[in-house]
Amino acid sequence: MAEGSGGRGEGTDKARDEFFSEAQELVDGLGRDLLALDQGLKKNQFDPELINDVFRGVHTLKGLSGLFGATRMSGLSHQLEDALDDLRLGRVELTGAVLDLLFQAVSLYTRLLVAEKGETGEPAQEVEELLVALGQVSGQKPGGPNTTVAQYDLDPGLFGVLTEYEEHRLRTTIQQGLNLYRIRVRFSLTTIDSALDELKATVRPHGEIITYLPTGAGADPETIELEILMASAGALALLRTVIVGANVTVEDVPRRTSASNRPSLLAPSPAEARVPEEFGGAGPAGGGARGGGRDGHGGEQRSAGGGSGGGHGGHAGGGAESEPSPPRSIAARPGPAAARGPARGSTTADLSLRSISQTVRVDIRKLDRLMTVVGELAIVKTAIARLTERARGRTTGPREIAIELQRLNRAFERGLAQMQGGILEVRMVPLGQAFDKLARIVRQISREHGKEVHLVVTGAETEIDKLIVEELSDPLMHMIRNAIDHGIEAREDRLRVGKPPVGTIALNAFQKGNHVVLEIEDDGAGMDSKAIIAAAIRRGMVSEEESRGLTPRETFAFVFVPGFTTKAVATDLSGRGVGLDVVKTNIAKLGGVVDIASEVGIGTKMTITLPITLAIINVLLVEICSRLFAVPLANVDEAIALDESQVRSIESREVLSVRGVSLPICRLERLFSLSRERRSNRAFVVIAQVADRRLGLVVDELVGQQDIVIKPLGKSLETVRGFSGATELGDQRVALIFDVAGLIEEVLSPGENRFLSPSPQTQDGFYDGRRKAESRVG
Amino acid sequence: MRRVLVVEDSVSARAFVRAVLEGPEFAGAAGGCEVLEAQSGFDAMRLLPRGPYDLIITDINMADINGLELIRFIRRSAHHGRTPLLIISSLRAEVDIERGLSLGANGFLGKPFTPEQLRVECERLIQEAIGGEAPPTDRQRPGGGP
Amino acid sequence: MATSAKTRVERRAARRSGDAGRRTEYLAFGLAGETFAVQIAHVAEILKPPPVTEVPRAPRNVLGVISVRGKLVTVLDLRRRFRLPESAFDRRTRILLADAGTGEQIGLLVDEVMQVWRLAADEIEPAHVLGGDQPAHIAGVGRPAEAGGDTLILIDLRPILGTT
Repeated sequence: MAEGSGGRGEGTDKARDEFFSEAQELVDGLGRDLLALDQGLKKNQFDPELINDVFRGVHTLKGLSGLFGATRMSGLSHQLEDALDDLRLGRVELTGAVLDLLFQAVSLYTRLLVAEKGETGEPAQEVEELLVALGQVSGQKPGGPNTTVAQYDLDPGLFGVLTEYEEHRLRTTIQQGLNLYRIRVRFSLTTIDSALDELKATVRPHGEIITYLPTGAGADPETIELEILMASAGALALLRTVIVGANVTVEDVPRRTSASNRPSLLAPSPAEARVPEEFGGAGPAGGGARGGGRDGHGGEQRSAGGGSGGGHGGHAGGGAESEPSPPRSIAARPGPAAARGPARGSTTADLSLRSISQTVRVDIRKLDRLMTVVGELAIVKTAIARLTERARGRTTGPREIAIELQRLNRAFERGLAQMQGGILEVRMVPLGQAFDKLARIVRQISREHGKEVHLVVTGAETEIDKLIVEELSDPLMHMIRNAIDHGIEAREDRLRVGKPPVGTIALNAFQKGNHVVLEIEDDGAGMDSKAIIAAAIRRGMVSEEESRGLTPRETFAFVFVPGFTTKAVATDLSGRGVGLDVVKTNIAKLGGVVDIASEVGIGTKMTITLPITLAIINVLLVEICSRLFAVPLANVDEAIALDESQVRSIESREVLSVRGVSLPICRLERLFSLSRERRSNRAFVVIAQVADRRLGLVVDELVGQQDIVIKPLGKSLETVRGFSGATELGDQRVALIFDVAGLIEEVLSPGENRFLSPSPQTQDGFYDGRRKAESRVG
Repeated sequence: MRRVLVVEDSVSARAFVRAVLEGPEFAGAAGGCEVLEAQSGFDAMRLLPRGPYDLIITDINMADINGLELIRFIRRSAHHGRTPLLIISSLRAEVDIERGLSLGANGFLGKPFTPEQLRVECERLIQEAIGGEAPPTDRQRPGGGP
Repeated sequence: MATSAKTRVERRAARRSGDAGRRTEYLAFGLAGETFAVQIAHVAEILKPPPVTEVPRAPRNVLGVISVRGKLVTVLDLRRRFRLPESAFDRRTRILLADAGTGEQIGLLVDEVMQVWRLAADEIEPAHVLGGDQPAHIAGVGRPAEAGGDTLILIDLRPILGTT
């Protein structure tokens, strides 16, 4: 055998990698399902399939964590599974408090996964606390089996292949007075997955699918016949018009006796509800006739069923409404930390939403397109090889070779551009991935604070680089937490000022050129700029005189300064700045900027502007003292020739007058202490802009534009300021890429805000067309 | 050379089973082991005609066609009526395991299990089938499993 | 002198008798007329210098960055590091690609690469033979028996790569 002793270890390692990404996906899925359950709960709806999905997710997680030795996770899953089993089997009622616990479990799962990767310690205490809380959820075993099912003419073997849960659903739906139908459908094995999804979508509005049974009929190995057992309130005639197809038949599952068809006999006492087996002696012809008769009375059946459900109160059956003891409602006993206001930090403050999975799921068609491009490039390669041969054989003149090379170069460029576009596309994921998790956080935090918050999301389909999405989760979470914590007022306060009692946080995303803009807007109390200015003056960040010239945007930017707080002045603002400096730093690392606008009593809007991808950017190459540098084109407003006569010095800073507007300039040659071999007799100014701060970078030459791949400078150079990385230009030459935001911040030191963009600002102060919003405070 | 069909909706659980069965301790003696993976009941039905298999391993709690329905389907088929069938499922699903055994599964392993437990159980079921012995009568009760 | 010659013979004999397992391989390189050596295990590659891009405001010992198969590598000028006079590149100038231990590869600029020495433990003397306080990066002195009295200054790369 080829397998060496290392074979298994390698295999198991690979399995372990699979474990992490699968577990992460499952946990993300749990979060989504819980949110959907939460939405349903608010409308008093309960989708049994959702809770079963959650159960199955946890069930799988339990199995996996056990297999891969993640003990604490396995323990958590075990307890959680018990609780979920009770929920799905109707032994316990789903309440907001129970959902709280489930949501807590989702965040704990994420932390446990990170811990399992050895990156942090395990949140042992939180898990223990949650286990205790979950332990109180579990209900009681149901009473004896409900034999009302026996009234249906079902294959006795059926129960042998129903899982416990499916059997429970069957009993429950019958108890609810729904009718049972049998859908026979034949699928081709190759297309069954999509065909079945279609069928499910068709059936779903009309009822619940209990199980799928392969009948094993038909010798054709390429097709499969399924018998689908479905419960529905609708009449057969209706279902037959809805569920149509060449290979589909819908039948009634006939009841055994006419007696059991009468609601009065269905329920009144346990003894009568249990329809004895011998009652089922009716002949097949009779069954058919009854079935036909029922068709015409679907509506009647339904109301009768509803009535019987109501009459079941004291009946010891198995359904949700007729438990021997009613399902236990969990008294408001939220998560251990949730009850303690001051300790709320322990639940969400140190929480990370970052996924541990580094995988991107790719539509195979995208890869196919890339493969096509590779094929085209291979053709170019062959042509080049052939041309080389011809050139060597000197049968072809240099002119023909040049023409041919030019043609090949064009083909190559085209292929490369497609390749580049294709790979970028593969890296793109919808922002919704991060938003799903945020919705969970909103729910959790708002419950912790006892505030009702409505999250409205738009633009979840906006795509952005996978890496950015991952890095974005945590800053977004902090901002949302801030909005709930300090923005949205308590219900009574809102009512007092005439606002709707439920606060709204809008999360909007949209693409804007090569950028993605994210807005987090709340309709809360807003921030008091006077309080902020007062605090800034107190801390010596700005003089009283200077403060008078501050624009609102500059004022709000103070909250991004580490440790900034207005606590001494206004209690409603306390802690507003906590964590926002981190947010700003993290966003800046992604090449993005944050801006704030706020109005007292109206609300606060934070805007993040991010590049779509970090991988490839378009740059302007410039030359300074015979050295090449790159300026990201996204930060370049324009480039003009330097007219030295327009340069003035103001307070040791050089300012260039451009079309009547003052622009601070920076002679990079001096900033970088570059030695010059020969004097240059001309110079250019590259006007760089980040949000509304502009700076003229003085360079010797403008070389041209190029698409480049940013490479990070090594650890050994991480302390060097002014560069975000470097790129190889071909011929092994390397050009450093300016960190424009960093340079602007360095050159225009704090408090020197008089060189702001002169362009008029829009009402909300965020955009004036082409600009990216941002605030920077040193 | 052995051929095993693994029906399981979790990709990493399949990877785990594959790693164990392809490892030298299990595959070595038998001249290798080919593991075919099905991620759903339907997937399994697609792969069944590509048998014969020396062993079929299936989970129970799966979407759409559950493992019990699959077991019944396999036991009714002409080609796989006697193929050893191992259930891998959570021990809590006592009722489900019991039903699976009644439908003709030959053994079960409660999740989680160790690589060693999986090897031993698979080996036992395959040997029994080769030896032509009757399916085990000492069916473990789910509650008393490992 | 007789004793010295005798020792040398003994050492050669010792090597022939097969205690080569205890020998360590060193790569010798020239720098401002002196011969230095580093453990070859720490050298990943020897490169002819590609164009080096200066990094403004980088630490003084950093010559710049180069691209090695698409990855950026910081290059240290060992002459500056050892406070030796600087000189221009010539055709023998090389860059040693060394593993910094931090996961980063660092380039070390040297005048020339000479040869590999396999030194036995008794061919290595501690740093203090050079006199009192030696910098941390001087690990010792190699006196290969076959070098005819030439010495190698043995370099420990860790302090160099740690403090750029």
